[in-house]
Amino acid sequence: MDFSFLLLALGQIISPQTIAYALAALGLAVQFGFTGLLNFGQAGFMAIGGYAFAITTLRLGFPFWLAVLSTLVATTVMALILGIPTLRLRADYLAIVTIAAAEIIRYVVKTPDLIPITGGSDGLNGAAVTFDALNPIPPGSYGFGPLRYDENDLWIILVGWVFVIVVALLVRQLMRSPWGRVIKGIREDEDAVRSLGKNVFSYKMQSLILGGALGGLAAIINIIPTSLQPDNYGTQTTFFLLTIILLGGATTVFGPLVGAIVFWIVLSLADGFLSLAVQYHWLPITTIQQGPVRFIIVGVALMLIVIFRPSGLIGKKREAFFA
Amino acid sequence: MRHDTTSRRRVGPAALLTAIATAAFALMLVFAGAAPANAAGSPTPSPSSSAAQSIQIWIRKAADRSNVPGVKVTVSQGSFSQTVTSGDDGKALVPVPTPGTYKVELDASTVPEGAGTVPTGLNPRQVVVSEGNQGVPAYYILVAQGGASPTPGATGGASSGASDGASGGGSGASLFELVLPRIVTGLIFGLLLALASIGVSLIYGTTGLNNFAHGELVTFGALMGYVFSAVLGLPGFVAIIAATVLGGVFGYVQDLGLWRPLRRRGVALVPLMIVSIGLSLALRYLFQFIFGADQLVLPADNRAALVLGPIRLRSTDIISAVICIVLLLLVAFVLLRTRIGKATRAVSDNRSLAAASGIDVERVIRTVWVGAGALAGLAGVLIGYYQSLRWDTGASILLLIFAAVTLGGFGTAFGALVGSLVIGVITDVSTVFIPNNLKYVAALVVLIAILLVRPQGILGRRSRIG
Repeated sequence: MDFSFLLLALGQIISPQTIAYALAALGLAVQFGFTGLLNFGQAGFMAIGGYAFAITTLRLGFPFWLAVLSTLVATTVMALILGIPTLRLRADYLAIVTIAAAEIIRYVVKTPDLIPITGGSDGLNGAAVTFDALNPIPPGSYGFGPLRYDENDLWIILVGWVFVIVVALLVRQLMRSPWGRVIKGIREDEDAVRSLGKNVFSYKMQSLILGGALGGLAAIINIIPTSLQPDNYGTQTTFFLLTIILLGGATTVFGPLVGAIVFWIVLSLADGFLSLAVQYHWLPITTIQQGPVRFIIVGVALMLIVIFRPSGLIGKKREAFFA
Repeated sequence: MRHDTTSRRRVGPAALLTAIATAAFALMLVFAGAAPANAAGSPTPSPSSSAAQSIQIWIRKAADRSNVPGVKVTVSQGSFSQTVTSGDDGKALVPVPTPGTYKVELDASTVPEGAGTVPTGLNPRQVVVSEGNQGVPAYYILVAQGGASPTPGATGGASSGASDGASGGGSGASLFELVLPRIVTGLIFGLLLALASIGVSLIYGTTGLNNFAHGELVTFGALMGYVFSAVLGLPGFVAIIAATVLGGVFGYVQDLGLWRPLRRRGVALVPLMIVSIGLSLALRYLFQFIFGADQLVLPADNRAALVLGPIRLRSTDIISAVICIVLLLLVAFVLLRTRIGKATRAVSDNRSLAAASGIDVERVIRTVWVGAGALAGLAGVLIGYYQSLRWDTGASILLLIFAAVTLGGFGTAFGALVGSLVIGVITDVSTVFIPNNLKYVAALVVLIAILLVRPQGILGRRSRIG
């Protein structure tokens, strides 16, 4: 019996996918957990950011830093377009518009007519060239057992984690600043903040832009070790992120990081056990039926967390704004 | 609500469900004589087929989705090899003896002149057949040479000539002839959307919940229709009624088992919305777990039953449209004239005031869930007839439902109807001007545009938008 999946699950702790989801979840936590904005289109911000990076790198030959800059510009523009009409309306309008916008982006980039630019349904490959060119790690194979990384994997893991932790510390300082207090005030009572003379709309917009930018940067980390696939940025990605921040604690800075690690370890373990169960006929299911199970787990987990532990793993009960 | 209403007859959830089911049943009886071919002349998997597995081949033109007969297709695996020719409906069913991966190859030389070519990479293809899978799809969409998508306006020459078989090639269809049929099919699609949207709107109105799991109620109805018609081989009207009734039961069970306890706990609206997202994810993939990830086809006669100039409608289109119209009228009657309908509108308007004036709010909400479930189930099975169905059929139209409800005005049932028709027409007509795969995008762009200029929707009131 092959138990190597246990180690592979452990590898999820540092995998680039976990880093990307942690960063995107942190962005969503800024919007949803701290400001109370229902952004259900974080996957759309990720897609826009990822495509901005990949297209400028592959089609226009931008250097790495310029491509990152174009990601920030793209997500900011998207936040402005979505925020201006909806941030004055009741919360669920933003939810519907952002989820719709994310789907619009996914449909548009998959259009066959745009294959020369976006690569259509196949997405874009090889956007990592400019990033890997900066790699100082000598070529080789690192790690132990089934956890082997080449120099480029190691490079993105190192840069990714350092970046996520720096961003998390910055967000923590930001949330302790006067700006952060206004943001949390908006979540608790928008009218009260408005009566203090604050421009609520402007603060909400800044929060939306900041969270969206983190989503875009997360997409860069996500596509560098693999490739850019449009269907990886469907609504289920946003719902995964939502599960992650609620799991870790939506109103905390380190909750999304803890949530992302726990989330991917649990999914990886579940996949591993299911494979064994299918292989040895412990369960009457087929290999094909194995695929949907992880989504069922996430869906049920999301419901249970919201109902029974809305403050998440490390959240404070009094701060969970819908306890 | 006035006090005199207490003397009126009480209409409970069960009674409402019975009314909807009875209406559907009566309608189906009317049409049972008109469309016996629905169940009988089915080319799709029939339980009587000797082999335990089969592959469904279906060859169509990309331009107008018309079926292409007379094309030879070979299905092979190891020593097994069988060549079939597509029938008048463009389909051929190939029974296969054992599960496994089969090679399906279309003989390009047998494709009729001008019908187009198979996109490269899709022929030959591998089809995976699992134990007991009937009608595993191997569908071919032939693309006209020289242009994959119809281009807007301009000449309408080459591409539109190929897209309209009835008018004959070369003559070129006018923009009007391209748009008119799509307006009609769009209206039918809009009516189907309306059945589902009214439930979303009423649930929102009475409980404040934006139900992201409503698409799964729709899928549930579609799958129940599939179970009763394609798996059990019962006639189409039985499947439609079963989907409606079971949809209502599903709505009732959801409210009883999940939403009512959460309301009792006093869970706020945002977490409720997230619970509905979790439920949607879990149910959707549960459907995939049970029914597989492939397209499922309801047995139906897909030939044009009514041809009016450029408009070609199948019998299922016409029957669906009539069922929708009758049921929407029934819903309007219930909302406007019955006690429970008035109570529903009162609760939507002001819950506390309604409760204070003696309305049993919980019973109203229960009824709304049953009615919404039944209507969504019916919408699901009819959408299954209108296009095809899959484990994510409902989820894929959920945003169109939200767009329709937002467009019409949240919480207003009639707004949902108007919004649905507009969205249905926009979705279908947009395919004249933009690539087919972007048709939902048009509806979603309209949604965002509407929020810019009139956030309360067409029939909504300003006070609701907060």
